[in-house]
Amino acid sequence: MKRSTSTPSAPPKPPKPRPDDGAVPVRLYGLRRGTTTLLTLVCAGFAVFILAPLVWLLINATKTQAGVYAGPGFWFSKPFRLFQNLADLGKDISGAGVYLHWMQNTLVYAVAGAIGATALSALAGYGFSRFRFRGANSLFYLVMATLLVPITALALPLFLVYAKVGLVNSIWGMILPSMVSPVGIYLMRTFIDASVPQDMIAAARIDGAGELRIFFRIALPLCLPGLVTVLLLSVVAIWNNYFLPLIIFSRNDLYPLTVGLSSLSQAAETGTQAQLVPVLIAGGLVTVVPLIVLFLFLERYFRGGALRGSLTG
Amino acid sequence: MFVAPHLVILTLFMIVPTGYAVYDSLFTSKLVGGTRFSGLANYRTVLSSHEFWDGVWRVLLFAVVQVPLTIAIAFFFAAVFDAGVVRFGRFFRTVFFIPFAVPGVVAAVMWSFLLLPGFGPYSKALKSLGFGHVDFFSSKLILPTIVLIVIWEWTGYNMTILYASLKSIPRDVTEAAVIDGAPLRTIILRMKLPMVRPTIVMLVFINMVGALQLFTEPSILSAFQPQAVSYGFTPTLYVYNTAVGSGEYNLGAAAAVVLALIIGLVSLGAFAVRRRNGEFR
Repeated sequence: MKRSTSTPSAPPKPPKPRPDDGAVPVRLYGLRRGTTTLLTLVCAGFAVFILAPLVWLLINATKTQAGVYAGPGFWFSKPFRLFQNLADLGKDISGAGVYLHWMQNTLVYAVAGAIGATALSALAGYGFSRFRFRGANSLFYLVMATLLVPITALALPLFLVYAKVGLVNSIWGMILPSMVSPVGIYLMRTFIDASVPQDMIAAARIDGAGELRIFFRIALPLCLPGLVTVLLLSVVAIWNNYFLPLIIFSRNDLYPLTVGLSSLSQAAETGTQAQLVPVLIAGGLVTVVPLIVLFLFLERYFRGGALRGSLTG
Repeated sequence: MFVAPHLVILTLFMIVPTGYAVYDSLFTSKLVGGTRFSGLANYRTVLSSHEFWDGVWRVLLFAVVQVPLTIAIAFFFAAVFDAGVVRFGRFFRTVFFIPFAVPGVVAAVMWSFLLLPGFGPYSKALKSLGFGHVDFFSSKLILPTIVLIVIWEWTGYNMTILYASLKSIPRDVTEAAVIDGAPLRTIILRMKLPMVRPTIVMLVFINMVGALQLFTEPSILSAFQPQAVSYGFTPTLYVYNTAVGSGEYNLGAAAAVVLALIIGLVSLGAFAVRRRNGEFR
């Protein structure tokens, strides 16, 4: 695998950028007219498959419980209850907890964990990229090997340790392990390799700049796009994490959205309260929307991350 | 110096717990008699548990179906977009990637409602199309249903990676093939597919490890249809139900260690394949 292929900030651009820059002109493939149409239709079909559940979520967040089950699944039915359902997110209607608290928790965990993960990854990636200390390679492989440790197999051990040291039901029990990001380190290392010239650092050293100063003043600004990518990937990973918080939290006011929604869905399906299902659906909607918006606006950073993630061993 | 903070966290939150889990798995706690050392007894219990092995075989079966299917669909779309032979390719690429931003919990909840026997719009649609009453949550269909949900969640991610990999193939290689008169299908299957093989191997590995840890989807589905998802439906559910559900933490720790070893073996297998091909630096 060529590392040199991974400089997302500067892809070679043809003089006139077209939708699919750099591709061989389609007409050269000598396809029959119908083929393009057919393939486009197949793509449209798959797009419907992908979007349908989200559309359903949006529509059904406006319904009453009866409306969700009785009416047409993909069209609105009266009464229009979206705002009432959203308002219910601020109340403890199920006895399982308050959705708004879970939202706050997720925000805290995601922001703190992602910033921590990014900072640690940048430091470690810089260290691995710029210093050839003894055992550096084996250490790097050790860090990469943690990629292979399944989080589900780790959650219970973490809980057992927390039980010993009193970190059960502590937000740090969630935030600190989220800062371990081998992918982040890998991304930062390749990014720094590619975008921070060794000469520049050597020059700074000669000028008498300290190592930390070099790191903060020279390396960090140069790898800003990389930092954003790692930050975003970490936010998504923590936002979507379910198993770890499920295991380590027993108080529902500490739950993040994922665990809260799951307990809400349990209450909705097994309980008898009629208003729970629409609230569950509205809650799902509010959970999904911020990430999709974030993703649509900052898409290129995600792509960069996915591309570089693909080079990870 | 720069690596140190990460190593501290890594040690405290990964290495120490793993060691402690192994240690803990060697003990047995009883209400009467307290905790005492019991050697490998917990491992014997886990390894002789039908529930546990049923779960292991189930996720292996699941992986064997889901992983190739997901990657095949992802490759199809990636190749089509890479060749630029569909209209609105950019739009479709964005749409397909959206589920990456949807938490598994929400995805499972949405699909549960859509497929709900009797009430879900999809069940209703199938009925009106003359397929009769299709119970997606029956013991026969529950696994295919989860395959469907996971394909929904992960195809776009795989596609994005494959697309990036295909894009890195130099343009003149494709051009040469086009000038030679090779049809598109041949170019994609005979030329480009072998060139992105390392990426595919890596994706197989990532998807496999993910599939073996299957937990979120069945655990959410079980709220909708408790009888469809058993105690040890997947190994991770077994770990969870044993430790958190029944409070047998030592046994759960042993199961977690066994599961980690199984996943480790699969990872090593994938590693060996890559090494042999000289693809791992």
